[in-house]
Amino acid sequence: MSLFDNTFPFSRRQMLAQTSYGVGMIGLASVLAGQAHANTTPLAARPPHFPAKAKRIIHLWMNGGPSQVDTFDPKPALLKYAGQRPDSTARLSTERRTGGLMPSPFRFTRHGQSGLEISELFPHLARHADDLCVIRSMHTNTPVHEASNWLMFTGNVQPIRPAYGSWLLYGLGTENENLPGFIVLGEGQPVNGPSNWSSRFLPGIYQGCQVTLPGDYRPQDVLANLHNANLSPQGQRRQLDFTQRLNDLHRERAGAENAFGARMDSLELAYRMQTSASEAFDIRGEPEQILDLYGLTGLHANAPANARNEARRATFARNCLLARRLAERGVRVIQIYYGNLQPWDTHSDNARGQQTLAGIVDQPIAGLLTDLKRRGLLEDTLVVWGGEFGRTPATEGSNGRDHNHWGFSMWLAGGGVKGGLAYGATDEFGFRAVEKRVHVHDLHATMLHLMGIDHERLTFRYSGRDHRLTDVHGTVVRDLIA
Amino acid sequence: MNRYVSIFAIGFGLFLPLTCLAQQKVSTEELNFFEKKIRPVLVEHCYRCHSSETAKAGKLKAGLQLDTRVGIRTGGESGPAIVPGNPAKSLLLAALRHETFMMPPSGKLPESVIVDFVAWIKNGAPDPRDGKSVVQTEKIDWQKAREFWAFQQPKVHAPPQVKNAGWPRKDIDRFVLAGLEKRGLEPVRAATKREWIRRATFDLIGLPPTPEDIEAFEKDKSPEAHAKVIDRLLESPHYGERWGRYWLDLARYTDDLGGTVGPVVAPTAFRYRDWVIQAFNRDMPYDQFVRLQLAGDLIAEPVKDYAERLGGLGFQGLGQRFSGNAVGMVKKKVADELDDRVDTVTRALLGLTVSCARCHDHKFDPIPTVDYYSLAAAYNGANLSVEIDLAPQDHVAAETKRKKEAAELQAKIDKLTADEGRRLGRQELARLDEYLLAAWKLRVLAERKQPADAEAVARASNLNSFFLIRWTKALANPKGVPLLEAWHAAALKASETAAMNGPVEPPKDLRDASTKAKSQADDALRALSESEGAKTKLPPAAETFIKVHLSNDGAAFQLRGKDAAAYLSAADRARYDEWGTKLQRLQASAPAAFARAPAVIGGGQTMQINVRGNADQLGNVAPAGFLQILKPQDPSPASKFTRLELADAIANRNNPLTARVYVNRVWHYHFGRGIVGTTSNFGQLGDRPTHPELLDTLAVRFMENGWSTKWLHREIMLSATYGLSSAPDAKNLAKDADNHYLWRMSPRRLDFEVWRDSMLAVAGKLDPQIGGQPYRDPQGKVQLHPEDVENRRRTIYGFISRFKPNPTLTLFDFPEPNVTSDQRTATTIPQQQLFALNSPFALAMARSFAERLEASEKTVDRRLHLAWQLAFSRPPTEREKVVAQEFLRDAASAEEKLGPWERLCHSLLTTNEFAFVP
Repeated sequence: MSLFDNTFPFSRRQMLAQTSYGVGMIGLASVLAGQAHANTTPLAARPPHFPAKAKRIIHLWMNGGPSQVDTFDPKPALLKYAGQRPDSTARLSTERRTGGLMPSPFRFTRHGQSGLEISELFPHLARHADDLCVIRSMHTNTPVHEASNWLMFTGNVQPIRPAYGSWLLYGLGTENENLPGFIVLGEGQPVNGPSNWSSRFLPGIYQGCQVTLPGDYRPQDVLANLHNANLSPQGQRRQLDFTQRLNDLHRERAGAENAFGARMDSLELAYRMQTSASEAFDIRGEPEQILDLYGLTGLHANAPANARNEARRATFARNCLLARRLAERGVRVIQIYYGNLQPWDTHSDNARGQQTLAGIVDQPIAGLLTDLKRRGLLEDTLVVWGGEFGRTPATEGSNGRDHNHWGFSMWLAGGGVKGGLAYGATDEFGFRAVEKRVHVHDLHATMLHLMGIDHERLTFRYSGRDHRLTDVHGTVVRDLIA
Repeated sequence: MNRYVSIFAIGFGLFLPLTCLAQQKVSTEELNFFEKKIRPVLVEHCYRCHSSETAKAGKLKAGLQLDTRVGIRTGGESGPAIVPGNPAKSLLLAALRHETFMMPPSGKLPESVIVDFVAWIKNGAPDPRDGKSVVQTEKIDWQKAREFWAFQQPKVHAPPQVKNAGWPRKDIDRFVLAGLEKRGLEPVRAATKREWIRRATFDLIGLPPTPEDIEAFEKDKSPEAHAKVIDRLLESPHYGERWGRYWLDLARYTDDLGGTVGPVVAPTAFRYRDWVIQAFNRDMPYDQFVRLQLAGDLIAEPVKDYAERLGGLGFQGLGQRFSGNAVGMVKKKVADELDDRVDTVTRALLGLTVSCARCHDHKFDPIPTVDYYSLAAAYNGANLSVEIDLAPQDHVAAETKRKKEAAELQAKIDKLTADEGRRLGRQELARLDEYLLAAWKLRVLAERKQPADAEAVARASNLNSFFLIRWTKALANPKGVPLLEAWHAAALKASETAAMNGPVEPPKDLRDASTKAKSQADDALRALSESEGAKTKLPPAAETFIKVHLSNDGAAFQLRGKDAAAYLSAADRARYDEWGTKLQRLQASAPAAFARAPAVIGGGQTMQINVRGNADQLGNVAPAGFLQILKPQDPSPASKFTRLELADAIANRNNPLTARVYVNRVWHYHFGRGIVGTTSNFGQLGDRPTHPELLDTLAVRFMENGWSTKWLHREIMLSATYGLSSAPDAKNLAKDADNHYLWRMSPRRLDFEVWRDSMLAVAGKLDPQIGGQPYRDPQGKVQLHPEDVENRRRTIYGFISRFKPNPTLTLFDFPEPNVTSDQRTATTIPQQQLFALNSPFALAMARSFAERLEASEKTVDRRLHLAWQLAFSRPPTEREKVVAQEFLRDAASAEEKLGPWERLCHSLLTTNEFAFVP
């Protein structure tokens, strides 16, 4: 460490080394070096347009499309009209041919002080009824997975626009540059894959970072090149000192360009990221009671009848726990997709499918909400739950439900939304949103608003015009905001 | 009279609005009804999106204005909102009833309100409101529009007078120096020869100079030394890789066309990539470069090399391809794909954002919506992403014919043998008992190790030996013969009891079982011929039997192809042989497979305007043709507008933009900023040129010099301006911090490709092969990525994916391959540095670099010298030597998996100096 002391009076690098590499000290070092270079990086946190209710988003993404009439939108009329197809729904075509109406086999009961109705599929989540802001009047453009996923995540039915997570990162930066600011967790690959979290015409650094972790992952390998397999930590520090010394000498000769300093600072950030990012993904230190909360304890030990579902539950639960850890560490946008391709796509045997799927996510999601709340994180973390669309109240085949873009349910929690609310309504069969309709663009406008961003002012000049997430659409749904 | 009008109106809805507009009088009763029941609803629920106010704010929805009598009758994009007297045709009612649109969006209004609107419309929709619609398009003042600098023809300007007359070397320098002097800026010192050759080499071939290159240049004291280096680099086959990659950014090059659950691979995309590289290497004139990419298939000129002529069509053929299976999105898919072509062509080649006019007249530039659809006609009706053969039409046609003839012959041959095989198979199946017994005999003989000649047995019993052998094999299957379990059991029992040496005679049980099997076969065959006669389905039992014994692959009585040929009648055999010979001849005459490449074919169909860009809503026909602002003032009306006319209009000396835009791009890549900073937007919202006269002069001279890119490089690189150092200067920085006026060379960070390729070069591991398929592992099985250690090819040869962008490329600001990109952003984030610090690739390069040093030089001093020469094109300074030696000593004592030289080399590759162009 005193390697250069005798040769040179003062090294910028050493000063950083001695001051625990504080970001503030980098600024100071630059001033001392006679060059006040730009000390904001493209990922540095930036103030929102107006005070934000939410600082981050956790999106629980039920890919495939959950059935609203089996979960959050009770429709007793379905029983009365079972097997029939009332005229008002006759023209509502979806992806495939559907027949008569099929009542939900699941019982709805009122929960919490609000009396929010939730079906028996979510016994754990129901205990959070007073935190949930259910939007029963969602609608989207088409009953096709690809297009609807793109619309939900990028605001366009074609894969040509940046993901909303990229927009948020571009607008707000991230609160922790030692971690990617937009992380996508999940198992396998959802339909559309990376185009759901692509930054498109925004700079590539705003792209979502997909982290798919096997059960036995090593925290130091969660991000590419996070770990140096060849050098000890001390060896690496020495090596970096030498590199930075050469960089200092280069600056003396070539001039103190901002770009040179920025890259040197970035090398230091990268060095620290090695430990901070590994630590963020390391859940081994989590106490038993936290694992219990997410339903993670002994998941494998209980020798389940259906091992595949148990493994899925473990993965989803672990990702929920990781989401909390990442939220805690200032990651701006965290998305968890349920699983490979589109598991919620219950074209046949809808009841059994929805039951299994809900059973897997119920406790982990409830655990996440509890955990966030206990830590005081829920108030500024916006949790979003839903799929790319809903499912038809009418049957497909004998017992399935088709895609339904006419109307579906999503819920929000935390992050400045009203709890215990059921907003908007579908028709009496749960087919089409009719009251206080909320389009995906409106949802985006509202999410951005909660994050302190005016969706009409967050723009990026590209191809001759200013683009925005909501294009020329979107209205903030103020009634959802607490 | 009123009554008469109403009746008339119902029949001829078209005339009604006129009649009603003329009808001004509204009775008191009607007025009251309107004010009480209609207006409040409109104000409360509709005006927020459909009024003059919102129109003025530019937020009018669907072009529909409901706050005036005219507006509500004229309607919006979908047509009149109300048709007075005709509720059924009034779209407003349908929307209120949520039958078409669902209005208002916040939820359906009460039924009583809808009843009021029905009554109002039935009654002729009396409306006291006045006021005109503010929705009207502004007329473009074409005369004024043409005065904008970018639409004026470029002219050659005489280089201005300058004070410091000794500094300029080329005309360029006088334009630049005049600009500097005018602003009180002074050029900094010239770059050293080492700095210059490093810069020039990175600029032209995307690799660092070798120590030999540097030494030769330093020794060359002739005035042509710089020109010689430039010539050498322009002759390098690596030149096309460097400059081709820039073009591929613009062309949004990709090796797959996106996809949803997996990539839709474009397996011949690389031919377009290689075409671009070769076009640069051969210095194809830029106008020809453009013409071939837009209309290589349509040009009339004689062409020898079809790969050259057609290989450029991938510029369009590799455009975006969307999924069109979504409900209500089929037309949108086509429209979006057309838009991709219009956008790419106009931004990349003309520097105009024509795509803005897809939904509305361009808000800043003189491009009305109609122009968008006039130009899009060149692509309308085209097959936008196909693969074509890189061969002349008649060759392709001949080959198609040959393949068809061969297929037909093959089909005839197949039918002949199949017919014969079927006939024979059925005939013999009817003798199943005889086959079974003969097969049993053969089997017993074989078990006794006695001679079992199937041919002889077949001859003796007048059986077909082919089938008999099949049956013998089937019998040997320990699992038994399917569907003939009883027979198989009897056969096993008979084998056991057959005396070891007596004559092989089947016992009665077996004979009975055989007869039974035959009757099963008879039943199935009868059912088969009945069902064929009656064209009905075969009963399941018979179907199974027929499949298992006659028609399935490997069934004992199945006979096809060559096997059946032996049993053909003499006449059939003669035909079989004749066709076979013909087929062989045809196959022998097959030419080498044509190379294929992505392309677009067809197009040129006039289009209807998509109202507000909505493909489901068609407006007037747009006359096909080029942008009005770029057309001659009084053009002769175009009879057609295909890609050829489009190409001619762009690759044209009279087009004021084409050469300017291209020259400016080349300038941008050399200096890090164009004379027009917004390299793909020369419109109102784009930057104005910092040196307009220089840009125009260069553009004209570029055209005069045969649109030669290599001429342009020489012109630029031999200037004193290009030869400036990148040294900062406080006085200049204070006045022109961003160096718009070129008082120095701005330091530029290497883009990822050059940085990675340079590591390979310095490590001595670069595979210099040019062109070919995206790189794979040596066995050709696995796609290799830029971060893979085994991958030693230049980065340009990677598989570029729209479906799953390579994370390393994305991390280092590689452009999004869905759209045309004119400039790379240069971000700095820690994950990039993690690649430098920890990636197996960087470490492998460091190892090879160290091996190279250790193999080449013995002493520490000489190794350091070589290391610095290779990495930085210069020897180390004394201070650097001291620092390096200390590090080597320290590293030698530490216990690490990397040796001191490997670690030193790793550091050199991680430095700023290695990552920036001087």
